[in-house]
Amino acid sequence: MKCALGILLCAAAFGQDVVPSNPAGTDLATLEQTVQKRHAEWEALARDMNDRMARILPCDPRALTAVAEVSRASEARLAALSDYLRAVSAKAFAETAEARNLLVTEERQAVESRLQRADAGQEQTAVDIQSDALAQSVKQRTSLEAPQKLLAQIAAMIHQRATSMEQQTGSAEAAVGLLRDLVPKFEARDAALREEFAAAESERARWNGYYAARKSRAQIECTITQIGASQSKGSKQ
Amino acid sequence: MRYSRSLLLVCFAAGLIGQTGRDAYRQAYDVWQQAQANLERDAGKGAAPQVAQADRSAAAAVAFQSTRMAYLKSSAESAVQRRRILQTPVTRSSPDLMPPAVANLAAAELQTVTRAIDKFAADKDRGIQQLRQSMEREKVALAALTDTIKTRQKAVAATSTASATLEQARGKAAAAFAEQTSQFSQTVAQMDAEGAAWTAYYSKLADAIQIANAPPSPAPAVEISTNTPPPAPRNASVSPVPLVRYVGTWSYPAVNGIFHGAQPESVALEIQEQNGHVNGTVDAKFKRSPGNANDPMVRFKFTGDITATPTQKFTLMTSDGAAGVIELIPGPAFNLLEVNFQTDPQPNKIRSGNFILMKK
Repeated sequence: MKCALGILLCAAAFGQDVVPSNPAGTDLATLEQTVQKRHAEWEALARDMNDRMARILPCDPRALTAVAEVSRASEARLAALSDYLRAVSAKAFAETAEARNLLVTEERQAVESRLQRADAGQEQTAVDIQSDALAQSVKQRTSLEAPQKLLAQIAAMIHQRATSMEQQTGSAEAAVGLLRDLVPKFEARDAALREEFAAAESERARWNGYYAARKSRAQIECTITQIGASQSKGSKQ
Repeated sequence: MRYSRSLLLVCFAAGLIGQTGRDAYRQAYDVWQQAQANLERDAGKGAAPQVAQADRSAAAAVAFQSTRMAYLKSSAESAVQRRRILQTPVTRSSPDLMPPAVANLAAAELQTVTRAIDKFAADKDRGIQQLRQSMEREKVALAALTDTIKTRQKAVAATSTASATLEQARGKAAAAFAEQTSQFSQTVAQMDAEGAAWTAYYSKLADAIQIANAPPSPAPAVEISTNTPPPAPRNASVSPVPLVRYVGTWSYPAVNGIFHGAQPESVALEIQEQNGHVNGTVDAKFKRSPGNANDPMVRFKFTGDITATPTQKFTLMTSDGAAGVIELIPGPAFNLLEVNFQTDPQPNKIRSGNFILMKK
C-alpha cells in the first residue's frame, strides 16, 4: 500500500521523465531558507500542541483551532520542502541532460581528434617527401641548403606535434571514458532525488492524515464530554 | 559600408567554420599541397615559374594555417563552454532538511497515544471506547507516518551518497578535460610556430632559387651560366598581400553565395597585373527584386596601381559610361575575394554591390 502510494506520487510528480519546473524560479538557497523557516514555525507549534490542548476544555473552540494551526504549519513546511525538492530536481535533471549532450559531443570530438592525428601523419609524409626532393635539388643548387635546413626544422616540428597529438588523442579517449562513467552517476543522483521527492510527498500525505485523525479525536473528546454533561444533568433532574 | 563589409566577412568566416569545420581546413590543405606540388624537385633547376610557385605556396600555406587555427580556436572555445558543467559542483539536496526532530516528534506522539489507549483499554464506557477508537486511528496514522519518515530518511541518505559519488567522478573528469585542454593549447602553439616557419621557408626557398650559383657537380661554369635562368621578379608589387590574392579569374558561387545589398545571380571577375598595374573586368547579373525595374546587368572595367595596403581600390567605368570605384579585399581564405563597388547614379541601373567571389 505504502509502496503503491509512493509509486503513485512518484509517477504523478515525475511522470514520463518530465523535468519538474521550479515553481517560482527562485534560487535554491532562498527555497532552502524558506523550508528551514517553515520547519521552525511548525516545530514550535507542534512540540507543545498536546500541552496546550491539555489546558483547554474539550469543547473550547481553541482546541480545534490549535490542531488546525499546527496542521497548517505542517502543510506549509512540507509544501516549502516540495518546492525546494522540485527546484533541486529541475536543476539536477538539466545538469544530467547537459552531461549527456557533453558526452555525445566529446565522443564526436574524440573521433575528430583521431582524424586530426591522421592529418598530422599525412603532413609528416608530405614534408618527408618535400625534404627528399629538396635534398636532390641541393645537389644541383647549393643555395638551397638554407631552405633545406629550415624544412628539416619544420619536419622535426611536425614530427613532434604528431607525437603530442598521439598523446592528446589518448588523453581525449581517457577523458571520454571518464565522462561515459559519469553520466550514469548523474542518472543515479537523479533517481535518488526522485525517490527523495516521492518520500517527501508521501510523508506530506501522512502528516496530513495524522492531523486529520488528531482533529477527529479532539471532536470526539468534545462530543463525549457533552454527552457526559447532559447525562449528569438528566440524572440530577 | 565598412560595417557591412566586416559583417560580411564575419558571416562568411562563421559560415566557413560552423558549416564545414575540419573540411574547410582540409580543403585549404589540399589546395596548398596542389600549389606546392613538385616545387622542391623543380627548385634545383628553378627559374621564374618556381619563384611564383613558392609565392603561391606561401599564400596557400598561410590560408591553410589561418583556416585551421580559426577552426581549432573556435573548437577550443566551444569546448570550454560546453565543459563548464564539469567545473561547478553538482546540485544536491540539503540533508539538513531532514532534521531528527521530525522523527522524534512523531515517535513522541505515537508513544503518548499508545499510552492513552492502554490506559483506556479496560474502560467499558461507550464514550471512552469511542475516544479509544479514535486514538487507535490516530495511532495507525502515526505508525504509517513513522514509516514514511524512515523511508525519507533513507532516501535523503541515498541522495547524499549518490551526490557524493557523482561529485567525486565529476572532479576526476574535470581534471582529465583540463589536462586535455592544456595539451590542446600546446598543439595549437606548435601549429602557430609551424605556420611562421613555413612562411620563412618559402621566402628562403624563393630567394635561393633566384641565386645563380655553381652546383657542386664538376660541370663547366660556362654551361651553368647559360643554363641558369635569370632571377625572376618576386612579387614586384608593393602590396603586403601576395598578388595571387587578387590576380586571376573569380566567380560568384552558384550556391551559398555571400553578399550584402543587391543579390548577385552571377559574377565573373578577371584581373591581370603587370609591373604593379592592374586591369580588370566585371560582368555581373543581379537577381531582380519584386517592384524593382533596375537593369540586372552590370558591366565595367577598372584599372589602377597596386598600393601598399591589403585593400586595393581602383577607379571603374561601366559599359554605360558611369564612373565609380571598386575595392578588392582579400577574403578569409586565399581563394576568396571580397568585392565592393559603387558607381555614379544612373536611371534604372544598379549602382552598388558587395559580395565574395571564389577563385576559379
